[in-house]
Amino acid sequence: MTLAWLLRRFFTVLYTLLVVSVLVFGLTQILPADAAVTLLGENATPAALAAVRERLGLGDPAWLQYWHWLSALLQGDFGTSMRTSQPVGPAMFTALGRSLLLGGASLVVMLVIAVPLGMWAALRRGKAADLMSSLVSYLGVSFPEFVTATLLLIVVADYFQLLPATGYVPPGEDLADSIRHLILPVVTVSLIMVAHVSRMVRSETIDVLNSDYIRAARLKGLPPRTVLLRHVLRNALLPTVTIVALDVGYLLGGIIVVEEIFAIPGIGRALIVAITSRDLPSIQAGAVIMAATYAVANTLADIAYVLIDRRIRYD
Amino acid sequence: MSPVLAVAGYSLDYVTREGTQRVLEDVTLAIAPGEVLGLVGESGSGKTSLAWAIMRHLPGNAREAAGGSLRLGDVDLRAASARALETIRGRRMSMVFQDPSTALNPTLSIGRQVSEVLVRHRGLSEKDAWQAATEALAHVDLRDPAGLMKRYPHEASGGEKQRVVIATAFACRPELIVFDEPTTALDVITGARILELFGRLRAETGVSALYISHDLALVARVADRVAILEKGRIVEEAPADRIFTAPAHPYTRRLVAAVPRPEQRLVTDQVRPRELLRGEGIAVRYRRKRLFRLAPPPATDHVTLDIRRGEILGIVGESGSGKSSIARALTGLADYEGDIALDGRRIGSVKDMDRTYRKAVQIVFQHPDSSLNPRQTVGDILARPLRLYGGDVATIPALLDEVRLPAAYARRYPHQLSGGEKQRVAIARAFAAKPDLVICDEITAPLDVSVQASVVELLLRLREANGTAYLFITHDLNLVRQVAHRIVVMRQGEIVDLLDMEMLRRGEIHSYTRELIAASPTPVG
Repeated sequence: MTLAWLLRRFFTVLYTLLVVSVLVFGLTQILPADAAVTLLGENATPAALAAVRERLGLGDPAWLQYWHWLSALLQGDFGTSMRTSQPVGPAMFTALGRSLLLGGASLVVMLVIAVPLGMWAALRRGKAADLMSSLVSYLGVSFPEFVTATLLLIVVADYFQLLPATGYVPPGEDLADSIRHLILPVVTVSLIMVAHVSRMVRSETIDVLNSDYIRAARLKGLPPRTVLLRHVLRNALLPTVTIVALDVGYLLGGIIVVEEIFAIPGIGRALIVAITSRDLPSIQAGAVIMAATYAVANTLADIAYVLIDRRIRYD
Repeated sequence: MSPVLAVAGYSLDYVTREGTQRVLEDVTLAIAPGEVLGLVGESGSGKTSLAWAIMRHLPGNAREAAGGSLRLGDVDLRAASARALETIRGRRMSMVFQDPSTALNPTLSIGRQVSEVLVRHRGLSEKDAWQAATEALAHVDLRDPAGLMKRYPHEASGGEKQRVVIATAFACRPELIVFDEPTTALDVITGARILELFGRLRAETGVSALYISHDLALVARVADRVAILEKGRIVEEAPADRIFTAPAHPYTRRLVAAVPRPEQRLVTDQVRPRELLRGEGIAVRYRRKRLFRLAPPPATDHVTLDIRRGEILGIVGESGSGKSSIARALTGLADYEGDIALDGRRIGSVKDMDRTYRKAVQIVFQHPDSSLNPRQTVGDILARPLRLYGGDVATIPALLDEVRLPAAYARRYPHQLSGGEKQRVAIARAFAAKPDLVICDEITAPLDVSVQASVVELLLRLREANGTAYLFITHDLNLVRQVAHRIVVMRQGEIVDLLDMEMLRRGEIHSYTRELIAASPTPVG
């Protein structure tokens, strides 16, 4: 991994985001929403509407509007919300922080469960434990998160009243309560990924276990534990990193649904609110921020990949 | 003296879906201290299964028959617990694998993989083990051992990796080492150097070894005694110097007869110097120049060669020497620079290769498993070139007969055929076009010696009947010396030598060719 590669990678991310910005701007242009009507309401006078359009530059050609939007964006100005009249940027980044907390916690929980589960199933291949983990995985994959979330709400939050059903508490305010509020959303988001990733870890582990170098390690007289931790684990995890990076895309989609169900004021929920209220600057900002998150996550995964697999060299 | 390894009355079955299959039948053998026993057998003879049985690393579906015994010195290996085996493996017996590129863990440094044995069995600290491992690498003639310790397997060559594996096997001074085809995956010269190294380490340490291989000529050089394994049974055991001169068992005699002897020419005719195909300054590049990257050196560097009508032109060279790139250029599978001329007609690029050219120049690939479509029957496979090049589909039975396969095989799928039969289908497919030139790219490499001999015999018969020329690409110098009219020797993308049999006999050869000949074991006696 060279500096040149990192630079090139950085520019690729920028280029991707530029394309995304064009697409996002284009989509908001063809959205059936008139910003002036959204701002002033259905009953505004034509004169007032015209004045607002003039002030917002809505009469300008699309490329000029795009240019104004992009140059402001590059200076960190995401525009002003039409719904709240507050700057969009700070609100969106606060929401993103909450989503990252939910997403990050889900990723960690997923890895902690999925990797040992997959390896355990591979070692007990064809035995009861393997079948159990397969069953759990298939169940996990076949439940979409809105079904899982609803079931969890009904059973855990409503019937047994073990955990709060909805809402968000910042960790800085009351850590214990914050965690209690996060448990159900995190379980919902990570369940499908656990199913997915543990299958992947299982099949990779089986391949690695059948490889010559594992045979060689055993024939060196190394105890099974050493073979597993030193020789198998790292090789079995390599492809998993790629899958996890791809799953970040799913994660972003899943979070939108989960935030809505559990009433967590994250970026997904902010985006839904923005779309339903036709708040164009918020929609644009939310979409661009999500795309940037995805691009950055993928770059981090690529870097992680080089760090654990010495055969891969980017130049 | 009591033997280091004693196998007595040992039988082994594999339980498969089709039922129980016997892989080893009443095997008895003993290896004395300091002795090397060669174990020779064709694929499926059970030789590798015996190695796994000795190392106590059998697959889950293996069932050992009661009564047989495996003893390493005073230890009854079959009775040893898993824990006891952990202290025996790597310390008292170790193994060297066929392919060094898969026998080392790609994600651990070479140093770690050598030193972990020393930590495990000699109780050294990590630091002392690292030091001892560095010395072990130096002892197997690896340059810059300290630097190599920090490298990862992909940063070492095949020969270096095999030396690392050997250093690991010798690290704890075991009594027995099992070698499973340790040079098969390596180039001829690299393999010869590995054998020299083994000879030296053997003299120094007095280790006993079981040396498994399919290559009778090679084993006869390495081993003191040779055991011949046929379908799980040892049919003959004899001193190494007697196996070629006085083979007792009929199967051994068949094996001995199939080993190519370079002094026995199989082709006796001469061809007139009438040029069929000429390649002028052929260069093949696999990666193009890009904005941030220079073009790589070409796989072949402006190679010029000509093939005469009806001639067998051999191309030999080690892996990466560019011999297959020539085949890919001549068949239009790779873009090339330079000129090809067929019967004087200029073919400047792949776009110029029309139906006439493709009909005239056919190819047979190394692995019939991947060159025959698994979802087509043999009949479908042969029908396509017949339709394309103006043949008659009704001649398929005759075509199969030409390659000595029953006409009923037309309805079979490739997976229902043996390796040799599949290669015959691939040859029939090439001949369906009635070509002037057939390029044979290592077509005998994946086959057993006896099958290899029959495929070569088939090729020669087809040539006799059709007057076809062959471009015979191989790494087996002994074989090519039996059949080729002229031999091209390639190294690093260049032709270093072009010789006919007369020059070879007079010894007018390049030093590299001499080195190749010296590294190819020929039958002794």
